[in-house]
Amino acid sequence: MTDTTMYQSTTAAGRTSSAGRTGGRSARRANGRRVEPLYYVFLVPTLLIFTAFVIVPALIGIFYSLTDYVGFGDWSFLGLRNYAALFSDPRILESYGFTLGFALVTVVVAQTIALALAVALTRRIRFATTLRTVFVIPMVVSGIVVAYVFNFLFSNSLPAIATAVGFGPLEESILGNPDLAWLSIVIVSAWQTIPGALLVYTAGLTSIPNDLYEASALDGATPWRQFRSITVPLIAGFILINTILGVKGYLGVYDVIVGLTGGGPGTATSSVAMTIFGGFTGGDYAYQMANATVFLVVTALISVAQIVATRGRAVQL
Amino acid sequence: MSPGSGRSAPVSRRSFLAGSAALVALGVAGCAPSSATSSSGGGGGVTLRFYEQKQEVIAYFDELLRRFEKERPGITVVHDSTVAIAPQFVRNEPADVGCFNDNLELARYIKRGVLGDLSDLPSAQTVRTDIGELTDQYATYPGRTSVLPYSLAAAGVIYNKKIFAEHELPVPETWSQFVDICDELVAAGITPIYATDRDTWTLWQGLFDYSVGSLVAPGEFFRRLKELGTDVGPDSEVSFEKDFAVPMERAKTISSYFNKDHAVRAYADGNLAFGKGEAAMYLQGPWALSQIALVDPDLEIGTFPLPVSENPEDRQARVNIDLGLWIPTASTHQDEARELVEFLMRPDVLNAYNADNLAYSTLKDAPPQQDERLAGLQDYVDRAAFYQGAGTFVPTSIPLGNYLQSAIRSGNFQGMLRQLDADWRRLAGREATV
Repeated sequence: MTDTTMYQSTTAAGRTSSAGRTGGRSARRANGRRVEPLYYVFLVPTLLIFTAFVIVPALIGIFYSLTDYVGFGDWSFLGLRNYAALFSDPRILESYGFTLGFALVTVVVAQTIALALAVALTRRIRFATTLRTVFVIPMVVSGIVVAYVFNFLFSNSLPAIATAVGFGPLEESILGNPDLAWLSIVIVSAWQTIPGALLVYTAGLTSIPNDLYEASALDGATPWRQFRSITVPLIAGFILINTILGVKGYLGVYDVIVGLTGGGPGTATSSVAMTIFGGFTGGDYAYQMANATVFLVVTALISVAQIVATRGRAVQL
Repeated sequence: MSPGSGRSAPVSRRSFLAGSAALVALGVAGCAPSSATSSSGGGGGVTLRFYEQKQEVIAYFDELLRRFEKERPGITVVHDSTVAIAPQFVRNEPADVGCFNDNLELARYIKRGVLGDLSDLPSAQTVRTDIGELTDQYATYPGRTSVLPYSLAAAGVIYNKKIFAEHELPVPETWSQFVDICDELVAAGITPIYATDRDTWTLWQGLFDYSVGSLVAPGEFFRRLKELGTDVGPDSEVSFEKDFAVPMERAKTISSYFNKDHAVRAYADGNLAFGKGEAAMYLQGPWALSQIALVDPDLEIGTFPLPVSENPEDRQARVNIDLGLWIPTASTHQDEARELVEFLMRPDVLNAYNADNLAYSTLKDAPPQQDERLAGLQDYVDRAAFYQGAGTFVPTSIPLGNYLQSAIRSGNFQGMLRQLDADWRRLAGREATV
């Protein structure tokens, strides 16, 4: 118990001192002291590039979503009619349903596995370093390559194995089954993104002092209790980062689907990103720009919601 | 949409574009290919940009361009083979001469008047009228001949002559003969038709287009469908649900003769399997022949149009204008561009191209295609007993291939047709059918 109290007091002390520091800095700025010019040298080029290549194109896109522009030639102003059409288009709504559901399932699957692996690998198990290297490999392989390899596995290898062992449900490739094809995309996306999450969790776990575990062990805490009461609160910030980045990435899922199902069977696995991209080749530029704008808002809202929902949950030492 | 409703744009297009262009000009300028405008070098020489991106014939056209340069000193031609056609028009610096698949995508450019009139060229009179009319089926611009058809591709059922001979099967002339042949093949343990659902374009190109084409004339059907616009439905004069009902019954039957793993096979798998003699028939076009020849150069192959009725006279071949020539109005070298078009349209040049590339000439009195694998379609091309595939009239924003995937699996082709009607209404509502 004494250990914990001590930690609490140092934490409290840390908070005050850091609060004092920030207070001091803002006070100095308020006093009119100039900010180091070097900061601007760093900031301005990035800001210009970001504005020219992200903000301006986005604004142009949003503007064209209010027109019937096809990319060239004359156009006229439509107001919000593209948006009205969008919300009554079953295929668009279906793609949102699929994408959101997919992101939710995949983030849960990927984060759970990544955290479990990270915990296992930071314990002193054998070959931890080797295993860590092996687990990181998927991250460095391009998504489309991974997808095509898995496509081969799902179309040929898995059905062949299932036939050999007489396992009926898998004898037909899951890629051809509209009810199961989404699973293949979850599996491949998770396989591909677990390493990144794993690295972040490993960093988080190594930042927790071992004393905490030793002390709690002395107090009779089970490993599960340690995980719940020490590990999770202390890496909550990392979980938050991983979840937000994960969801953001999954919402934009594109290459994996192209390589695995091409959006099919039927339109069962068509993601929002795929329908948006289809607009460029299909002459539906303005309409899909409206879709992209809606998607931007949805993605931003989800990220904000995630931050708000988890705010204050993280514990600091 | 009422046509006049949106004319009063609050921001003029010019100023909006100028402003945004200025901001991105720095970065984008470096990506633009050498443009025709910055070309008039010393000695009065002119540099043309020629756009042609069909992979298989890029080298072929390169050679033609060198020939043209030799015959016409003072003009240099740069070959632009960028895959996507849109960017050059978006930047408003299109190539001086384009050579592109005449499809719904090109139709958007025709309809918006960015391709100039070629009707006064001498070569325009040498094009077969019945082939020239095909381009008008997708879109027209009043008073203009926007595209000169250059190469006609004809497709039908590719069949393995050896398998047919071994089982003493004739080339089918009616629907029931076709079904009988499939049944006999099944009884003999041979896959009748190899299908590759995973590449969804192969489904509409083959199954859908062949099933429809000889029963419902696609050009006429879609002309009336466009007139109806948002009124398309179960009770309208024409609709997918009504007019395509019988064709889709055919499609459903045909799909029951597919290879078992059709759902997960792709185009490349199909060429490989057919090349290895794993199936008797393959619903593909001449483009697949060169791929199949890579697997087995000696495979004996023939082509016939799919019979879908009991009257042999109904049979037609599926054609598409694989390449057409056009000159954008924005080209600053109109005269030189026309010279290049005239050179390419010369009968010796054009006929040689088509003879060499498994296609058909678009000119009057042209020699027949000599390749034996395509001999079965020559007569149909000569008689103009052909149609442009129904699937080519469906904008890509309607995922027809994906719908077919589902329909083949569930057998519910009627539902797919209702879906197509609904999608068409929605597209017509925002004028996106071309």
